[in-house]
Amino acid sequence: MAKKKLFWTKRIARTLITAIGVSLVAFLILHLTPGDPARIILGPYATEAAYDRIRERYRLDEPIPVQYIYWISGVVRGDLGTSIRYNRPVAELIRDRIGPTMILMGSALIVSISLGVFLGILAAIKRNTPLDYFATFQAVFWLSIPPFWLGILFLYIFGLQLRWVPIGGMVGFTSLIFPALTIGLRDEAWFARPMRAEMLEVLNQDYIKAAKAKGLKYSHVVVKHALRNALIPMITMIALRLPWVIGGSVVVEVVFSWGGLGSLLVNSVLARDYPVVQAILLLLAILVVLANLGADLLYSVIDPRIRLEG
Amino acid sequence: MPERDEALYQEAIEDIRNLKKQRSSQLYLVWLRFKKNKLAFVGLVMVCIVLLVALLAPILTPYDPYETDPFNRLQPPSRQNWLGTDELGRDVLTRLFYGTRIALLIGVLIVLFEGTIGITLGILSGFFGGVIDNIVMRLVDILRSFPVIILAMAIAGIMGQGIFNVIIAMGIVGWTTYARMVRSKILSIKESDYVEAARSIGESRVSIIIRYILPNALPTAIIMVCIMMPTALIASSTLSFLGVGVMPPTADWGSMISAGRDYLLNAPWISTSAGFAIMFAVLGFNFIGDGFRDALDPTTKRS
Amino acid sequence: MSKILTIKDLKLSFDTEEGTVEALDGVDLEVEEGHFHGLIGETGCGKTITGMTIIGLLDSNARIDRGEVNFRGRNLLKLTEKQFQRDIRGKEVAMVFQDPASSLDPVFNIRDQMIEAVRLSRKDSWESYEKTVKELLKQVNLPDIDTLLDKYPHQLSGGMRQRVMIAMMLGRDPSMLIADEPTTALDVSVQAQFLKVLVDLKKTTNLTVLYITHNLAVLTEICEEVSVMYAGRVVETASIRDVFHKPSHPYTYKLVHSILKADSLLDVLEEIPGAVPRLINPPSGCRFHPRCDEAVSECSKTIPPLKEIGTNHSVACLRR
Repeated sequence: MAKKKLFWTKRIARTLITAIGVSLVAFLILHLTPGDPARIILGPYATEAAYDRIRERYRLDEPIPVQYIYWISGVVRGDLGTSIRYNRPVAELIRDRIGPTMILMGSALIVSISLGVFLGILAAIKRNTPLDYFATFQAVFWLSIPPFWLGILFLYIFGLQLRWVPIGGMVGFTSLIFPALTIGLRDEAWFARPMRAEMLEVLNQDYIKAAKAKGLKYSHVVVKHALRNALIPMITMIALRLPWVIGGSVVVEVVFSWGGLGSLLVNSVLARDYPVVQAILLLLAILVVLANLGADLLYSVIDPRIRLEG
Repeated sequence: MPERDEALYQEAIEDIRNLKKQRSSQLYLVWLRFKKNKLAFVGLVMVCIVLLVALLAPILTPYDPYETDPFNRLQPPSRQNWLGTDELGRDVLTRLFYGTRIALLIGVLIVLFEGTIGITLGILSGFFGGVIDNIVMRLVDILRSFPVIILAMAIAGIMGQGIFNVIIAMGIVGWTTYARMVRSKILSIKESDYVEAARSIGESRVSIIIRYILPNALPTAIIMVCIMMPTALIASSTLSFLGVGVMPPTADWGSMISAGRDYLLNAPWISTSAGFAIMFAVLGFNFIGDGFRDALDPTTKRS
Repeated sequence: MSKILTIKDLKLSFDTEEGTVEALDGVDLEVEEGHFHGLIGETGCGKTITGMTIIGLLDSNARIDRGEVNFRGRNLLKLTEKQFQRDIRGKEVAMVFQDPASSLDPVFNIRDQMIEAVRLSRKDSWESYEKTVKELLKQVNLPDIDTLLDKYPHQLSGGMRQRVMIAMMLGRDPSMLIADEPTTALDVSVQAQFLKVLVDLKKTTNLTVLYITHNLAVLTEICEEVSVMYAGRVVETASIRDVFHKPSHPYTYKLVHSILKADSLLDVLEEIPGAVPRLINPPSGCRFHPRCDEAVSECSKTIPPLKEIGTNHSVACLRR
């Protein structure tokens, strides 16, 4: 029990350190280049009055550590600052946009995990057959296509030419299909390969032979014993890929004019609306940090070897 | 030197020699397996084609990638312009050819830059351990919590458009993969007999790093570059597409896709052909990378 | 007396990256129904592969070149995977593997894995399955059966896991059990406990056991007959008594005589000059001849057939 406690104390300490580090990175981004952050925010044509207002609002006359403390204590209270471009609280902007992003990322994850796991299993049990080669090849293929271009192709073919789906925007289920596919197909490729490797490893274990020796059907052995054992390590794998799923969805949101956090982020970067940029960066990174912690927790609950360890 | 130490020394030298031999034969085995892989060979050919196009771009096309022609805008593919012209009347194929140069230049520089940071930190972290290791690994944890493309976009956005800002942004963000791989490799080398042997004969840490650890980590690093090139190519073109990357009018694949997007209905050839170019190059590198991966770890491929 | 299993001239090879490995080169083996039959040999001599062939669990790169494996008059080599799974595996032939640490699925508890086996033979209520499972576990002398059912494999000791394996395999009431070095990974005291379970089974059931081991001493306690394997061939088959009193093959002779000094074959390896041959390029003729004191030039040319030299005693040596 003591060992377990120590492990989780360490793990949570690591999570906290990472979370603090992540907030530092999000904050320091503005101070990355030499020069006056207020000028960076305002661009070259600002008035003196606007300049002074910005310097005051972000306490740019204070030392950087003090600025950080002000910023992070605001964040903890739920005050993410005010958007320069929209002149609205950042928290409000994010609240409006987070729903569509979660829907898109969720659908993309469903597509990628189910396809990836399915193809990984298929490739492993049909090892060294054309099916296996196909699964490997399609994975490399999707990984070699820039996601934004795949999105544009889908828009061109199914939106402009065939007119099956609306050309961007968020109007009903049909407009979700191709954004989700664009992200999902690429991430499927990330999951199929490790799934195949896990499956091959598990299928080689004695307990699989023993399960067969009992007289169980091969399909039963694969679906019950091999799959359960191979899926457990995939939990961590999927959490580790989460940043890429998020990154993909940001780019794809821009392509499909999906009104989520991603397009807000890109527009804010281009408009130098840094309070928004910092807040979204922080939010997405914290999501990843928590997902990794969650994956470890889930893992320890599902795997009896860890759950029941003294 | 006392007699016993002399004997120990000889033994250590012998150990080192044997292990070096073993190592080179292992690398040879990897190369043999790589050669047998048909897709890897196809990848090699594809990458060679890309390299040749980059080198010979001015010979391959009579046009200038930057010369605009207002009377010849958005022309469909024809005998004069095999892939048509873009919104400013420039020949798309010519811009694709010159884009090869930009893409490879940026890709290689990104990989070199992030590779240098990552490999250095990975070696330091793996070899010295302790506090250094802890700091580097926490830094890796922190950076890996951000989606690469998003952080790079934010950084590039602040620094402004331009090739070198793209490289710096990607370097700051992308080194973690190298650091982690090198670190774990170092940890396994550190346990190995020949480093122990070298230590027992009193070699200094620095000399051990230079003489044993670097040569061992080098093949890994080379293979890593092949594996990382696709990510660099796709990420840099994504930055261009989002408008924080290479500045127009530079002949850049990502910018071409982005610009062509506005003319998708009338002139789909601009976006599509540039996309195919990226896909071709990336596919080539991916085939090579996979070939190396399978050759290094044959257990996942064959029994 | 009837033979439950007859293997005739079984030749089997593996295709590997380094070349073809001739793992079995004309194995002849007969097992009497209801008997415990020992199969002894050094690591890599093909005894496990022989077991895997009988139960149809060979790796995919295995190739059967010739021979027959007759089980109750049915040639197992002719069966499809489907027939094997439906008619033989578990139902007729069961198997216990060497490493108890890895032969139970780590993510299911004992109840789950036991019931899974019991259910294959009959459809009934869960209560009745559980009752059967408890009886089976009692039969292999496992204590605290009620708490045991909810445990996961990693919570049990090696000896307990191995007994669970036996109980699980007995759940389908097979005619034959292949035990592949079941005690090798266990402590000596646990070994004795495990062997006692087998001896008890012998008294109460009509189970046939093919006991694969490299430890001759173990066999003396439980087996009626012993077959000695060397480099992919059976070189001698005899009653356990004859093996000790009249060992005929030079290899058997050395095995038996070294047991007086050491009780495991592992220690013997150094005493028989030469190394276990690599089976990619095996020695010609009698595969033992490079290590044999009595070898003559003929031995390197002719493969000695297994011939009868007494009641239930056969040997494959040109000089006998």
